[in-house]
Amino acid sequence: MEQSSTSALLQGTVLDLASDVVSALRSGDHVRAGSTLTGGGAGEGVARAAVRVLGADTLLPSLLLGVPPEPGQLAVFKDAVAAHPPRADAAPTVVWSHWAMTRALRRTGPPLDGPLAGGPGAEPDARWLDGASWQFLTHQLAVLAPLALPGEECAVTRVARGRPVDVARGFVRAVRRRDWQQAAGAGRWLTLLDGVPDTLGLEAGLDFVRLMGGSDPRVALQLEAARLMPAVVLR
Amino acid sequence: MSVRAVEEAALDWVWAHRDDFALGDDALAADGQVNRTWKPLGELTQVCASVSRCTPPGDPLHTRVSELLDFAWRQTRQGELFLLMQSLEPFATYPLEVYAAFASAGLRHPGYEASAAVVARTRGWRLTEQYPTRRLGVLEAERRSGLQPHGAVPPALDRTWLGGLPEPWTFERAAGYALTHVVFHLTDWGRDPRGVPADLADYLLHWLPPWLDTCLDARMYDLSCELLAVAASLPRPPEPAVLADAWQRVAAARSGSGAIPEEGAAQDAAGPDPGPDPYAFTDCYHSTLMAAFAAALTTAATAPPAAVRHAAPRTGQHAGQGAPR
Repeated sequence: MEQSSTSALLQGTVLDLASDVVSALRSGDHVRAGSTLTGGGAGEGVARAAVRVLGADTLLPSLLLGVPPEPGQLAVFKDAVAAHPPRADAAPTVVWSHWAMTRALRRTGPPLDGPLAGGPGAEPDARWLDGASWQFLTHQLAVLAPLALPGEECAVTRVARGRPVDVARGFVRAVRRRDWQQAAGAGRWLTLLDGVPDTLGLEAGLDFVRLMGGSDPRVALQLEAARLMPAVVLR
Repeated sequence: MSVRAVEEAALDWVWAHRDDFALGDDALAADGQVNRTWKPLGELTQVCASVSRCTPPGDPLHTRVSELLDFAWRQTRQGELFLLMQSLEPFATYPLEVYAAFASAGLRHPGYEASAAVVARTRGWRLTEQYPTRRLGVLEAERRSGLQPHGAVPPALDRTWLGGLPEPWTFERAAGYALTHVVFHLTDWGRDPRGVPADLADYLLHWLPPWLDTCLDARMYDLSCELLAVAASLPRPPEPAVLADAWQRVAAARSGSGAIPEEGAAQDAAGPDPGPDPYAFTDCYHSTLMAAFAAALTTAATAPPAAVRHAAPRTGQHAGQGAPR
């Protein structure tokens, strides 16, 4: 019982946090966004865990809009990065998600100190995507949607850039399966890729995903990112 | 699993159940159920005509479908019944559509063709109200039956779902059945892949994989087999991995008798321990025919060197991922 209520609490916190990010992306100002991380509503451990789930996208407003993160948020984010380094046997998406969080910290925050201060974390490899089916590729990319940023240069973005048609197929599959989160994540990637077939109708597709699944803030977050990214150049 | 094995098993089932395709007394009744009489017979004929074309004369499958074609033609009393049907419903298009399948197998009735030509010259025939896909089918039926088609293909194609190159994520069951038939009509049921315009071929190569994948996930085997037939009717085939995965899943849906159920619901109804022949005729005849049809086209299309097909003229190189832009 205790476990299920903890996981319900975490799930709720993730949604609240995603809503904060969506509000910030829409308003262009993180101050007017909610304060899930700093309001003291969620316990420290739950807040950190929620940040791990949302990953680098927790700082997306700062990354895309260029406004510095709110100090309290940044502190929780740093804790989340420092407290949970991926284990040696962690799945590639976990390793990459951690890498993306570290990367986001370097991009948004003041110079790092403490255990995070060392040189840039070695970039993981993307060998697990070698020869991946288009279905698996799209699923993994959607999980790693925080890496879909304008100008981002890493092994995963290079894989995505080499397979625009396959990611587009994955988008179609996700919509057909009513998997709005995967569809929104794939759609975010597609806004960055050259060589996506025109017949996909990506813009109408993203509107459709918003219509059908946009009430979930995790979906809305990806769609807001997709909306903003074409106009943004990262620092 | 080989595609050929699916084809053989499906035709075994068809042969064993050929009497269910026979025309009963209701075939010419005023209130006859065309979908239960002429439609299955026409579909049997079309599939057998295609398999016959895809297999060399010495092949046992060629012999089998030749016998099935004889059987089907006998049902129409060597074409005589088409004249009777026409006298009952002179402006209905389905008799000509069914006849066209026989004509494409070389089974023709000159008297019926002459009568059909008289009807097809009327404005009323040309103005028959029907779905754009069906319109294309009638044009094709006219051509195959030696009649002057009552219109051109391109404008008819433009009015179909596929012809408009719609967003692929708007694909649903009805759109799927419409698009497969558009390709069947454009290619004369797989005979001529060059009938698919280059932009449609690119579009289909891009989007067949997610359509196949999601239809198979939903256990829509009938539509999946039609999509596989489309895949084998293109100037260039989709990636081998896409086809291998889809065929493996179709093969896994086979019953012991070789039948493929139309949809997963039939499997559920058959229960966890189905016998070798668990499906009612109406729940599997069409999907089993489509499996044989798609398998025959696939086998012919992937046959080594003396490839039967020729790519449509196109520019650009295939980059290994999806269709060329």
